[in-house]
Amino acid sequence: MPSSRKELLGLALAIAGTWATRASAQQQAQGFAVERFYPSAPGGGWMVMDDLGMRGGLGGAVAVSSGYAHDPLRVTDGAQHLNVVADQASFAVALAVTYDRLRLYFDMDSPIVGKGDSGAVGGYRFTAPSFDISTRPDNIVDWRIGFDARLLGGPKGPFRLGVGAQLYVPSGDRGDVTNGAYQSDYLTDGTYREMLRVLAAGSVGRFDYAGNVGFHVRPLDDSRTPGSPQGSELLFGVAGGPRFPVDATGETVVIVGPEIYGESALKSLFGKTSTGVEGLLTGRVEGTGDDGRQTQVKLGVGGGLHPYFGAPEWRFVLAITLCSGAP
Amino acid sequence: MTRVRRRALARLIGATLVARIVAASAPANAQAAPPGGHEDAAFDFMNLLSHHGMHDIREESWNAYGQFTYISSWKLPFSAPYTNANGSINSLVPDAERSFTGTFTLFFGVRLWRGAEAYVVPEAIEERPLSQLRGIGGAIQNFELQKTGSETPQIYRSRTFLRQTIGFGGDRVEKTSDPMQLATVVGSRRLVLTAGNFTVLDVFDRNSITWDPRQTFLNMAFMTHASWDFPSDARGYSWGGTAEMYWDDWALRVGRITPPQEPNQLPQDFRIWEFYGDQVELEHDHVLLGQAGAARLLGYRNRVDTGRFADAIAALEANPAENAAACTAFNYTSGNATAPDLCYVRKPNVKVGIGINLEQHVTRDIGVFFRAMYSDGQSEVDAFNPADRDLSFGAVAKGPAWRRPFDVTGIGYATSWISRIHAQYLAMGGVDGFIGDGYLRQAPEDVFDVFYSVNLLRAIWLSADYQYLRNPGFNADRGPVNVFGARVHAEF
Repeated sequence: MPSSRKELLGLALAIAGTWATRASAQQQAQGFAVERFYPSAPGGGWMVMDDLGMRGGLGGAVAVSSGYAHDPLRVTDGAQHLNVVADQASFAVALAVTYDRLRLYFDMDSPIVGKGDSGAVGGYRFTAPSFDISTRPDNIVDWRIGFDARLLGGPKGPFRLGVGAQLYVPSGDRGDVTNGAYQSDYLTDGTYREMLRVLAAGSVGRFDYAGNVGFHVRPLDDSRTPGSPQGSELLFGVAGGPRFPVDATGETVVIVGPEIYGESALKSLFGKTSTGVEGLLTGRVEGTGDDGRQTQVKLGVGGGLHPYFGAPEWRFVLAITLCSGAP
Repeated sequence: MTRVRRRALARLIGATLVARIVAASAPANAQAAPPGGHEDAAFDFMNLLSHHGMHDIREESWNAYGQFTYISSWKLPFSAPYTNANGSINSLVPDAERSFTGTFTLFFGVRLWRGAEAYVVPEAIEERPLSQLRGIGGAIQNFELQKTGSETPQIYRSRTFLRQTIGFGGDRVEKTSDPMQLATVVGSRRLVLTAGNFTVLDVFDRNSITWDPRQTFLNMAFMTHASWDFPSDARGYSWGGTAEMYWDDWALRVGRITPPQEPNQLPQDFRIWEFYGDQVELEHDHVLLGQAGAARLLGYRNRVDTGRFADAIAALEANPAENAAACTAFNYTSGNATAPDLCYVRKPNVKVGIGINLEQHVTRDIGVFFRAMYSDGQSEVDAFNPADRDLSFGAVAKGPAWRRPFDVTGIGYATSWISRIHAQYLAMGGVDGFIGDGYLRQAPEDVFDVFYSVNLLRAIWLSADYQYLRNPGFNADRGPVNVFGARVHAEF
């Protein structure tokens, strides 16, 4: 069968040649901050929304949280799919100082795990992150420094209105080339980012609600790369749920309810692949007293209602907050 | 007995005598506390809140501090008959060089429940070492360079740990408000458990005379024992747990800490039952002629994935193809084709050492210190310095006597040296993580360090520093080296 062998060899060379041509035509997709879960400030009530409950004299809060997201970056060109970031977990420490109706806070997020699948989609070559806490024992993702102010309403009133601003300080580069290979952890845009938000919240009887709408100044625009940021974004979110007292005094309560939030790139507002929407069922136990230390425990479980643009297939988050004074 | 060994023995005998003299002094029911602790007159955030009645600085539920330090070092040209001989790569370059580090640190602490404290310490560093941090053994001119970094600032989490104190009574001991210490009153008999991410130096080998290298000597030889290969990542931090038992004027500390996956690298090995660094320290605090002092005995045992010098030499002698230039496993990229290399022989090895740490106040504001350690010297540096034995002593004075209460000055001498087999390995052209000139004429590496810090506005210190470094890299063929330093340090 020598002729068959030649035909097979020719076919193999042709396939290899085609593959090589396609491979060389692929561009390397660059990393970015894939996480779009922007938690509320320590003592801020909901998991993402802010209850604008700042009050009293000088106070503070410290929060420790940890979360996991499954498939937060799934890219597709319609025919092919690739879970570039399949597993992402982190823990965060956040601190806040409050005074009257003002809050200043900062947090730092440390990645625990980042893993996924490398491959090519839509003419781009994606290199998945591959790290855990042993290989990145002291990493900090972009620092967040934030400021919130309640402009209207009392701390427990039926309608509260405020504003918030956040600055993200980049922790490093989007990726780097090591031994000739591109590597990114998908943890940072490598640029400063800012958020400006209008916040609303209220307590009507035993029902609490909160919401926000804002603007994310995001310089990074990789519109042509599937799943990548497309510049500045609109932010939105709403939450609501009943409040149940769990002790006789009513100073410890459980609040359970959904939080729905997302973002959409301004250049393609509410486009299918430029919008991510996520829902989280959150429950929290918190003290509501005006004096002394209060503890808040929060748990959220949910996933992508519109699982694109950084909204994961599912996630869970656990947070514990200690409030000193009355945040 | 070689000249070097006789000298080493004489130093240890001297150290032992000093230890006996101090140990024979009257014991006291006092626990050594850093004299440079929180000053009521200092200008910082917590004092500011306290003075305005917004914070209880004697019994804290939280605190927050910060610091900024910029250090610049200028190394003058020095003589060296050879540099990086035969393709070796770890020589200190004999040309004039400038090195710098800049660090910015925030310290946050919060009391969680009775006796429990949590601390988080983010830090940023930028740096440029001399000769890419090569060519100096135990006397690197700037202690901050134990933290790996680059000229672009890097932000990282240096510490995140929990501390639980369990009281057993005794006398009242006031803990002042300081970075990583919440002000409170504890008993002189207590158990303190610490777990998480921290540096071993937060717990072990503390010395209230050289209490903070950002305030005292610039040279790393005075920060801790040069030959204590304490487990840490490439920035000096690690994970693990410690227990400290305080019983009046005695303290016993034990700890198990994670080592790096590869020597002197950042990734940590969390298989803490297989690879670890164990530390044990016994401390006795005393009052001698009315002044506080302390004596500490520290031992360590590391079980880590490293190479032994004898094994590397034997590997080369058995097969010349196993030379430094040919290695493809983790190595330090030496191009010396006739030198042994540790990369061929790395396996779980044990490294042990024992040292003493003495401190004594001469007056309230003047103190002297002495440290000495002997490590086995059979295997390579895994995390800190390549020195195998060390000795250091000196004095530090604060400025009340000359009406500059926040000024600090000090003078110190440190020497470190290496084992015979380590020297043989280097003489054959071998390199470790930091040293290896391609050849070696063995000698102790000595440094003389003198500094003066001028305080401004009770929160900023400007320091001038001079260091005379002899036999860099334990090599009598090279040096001496003169290094001038300047430091700006701010606390807030």
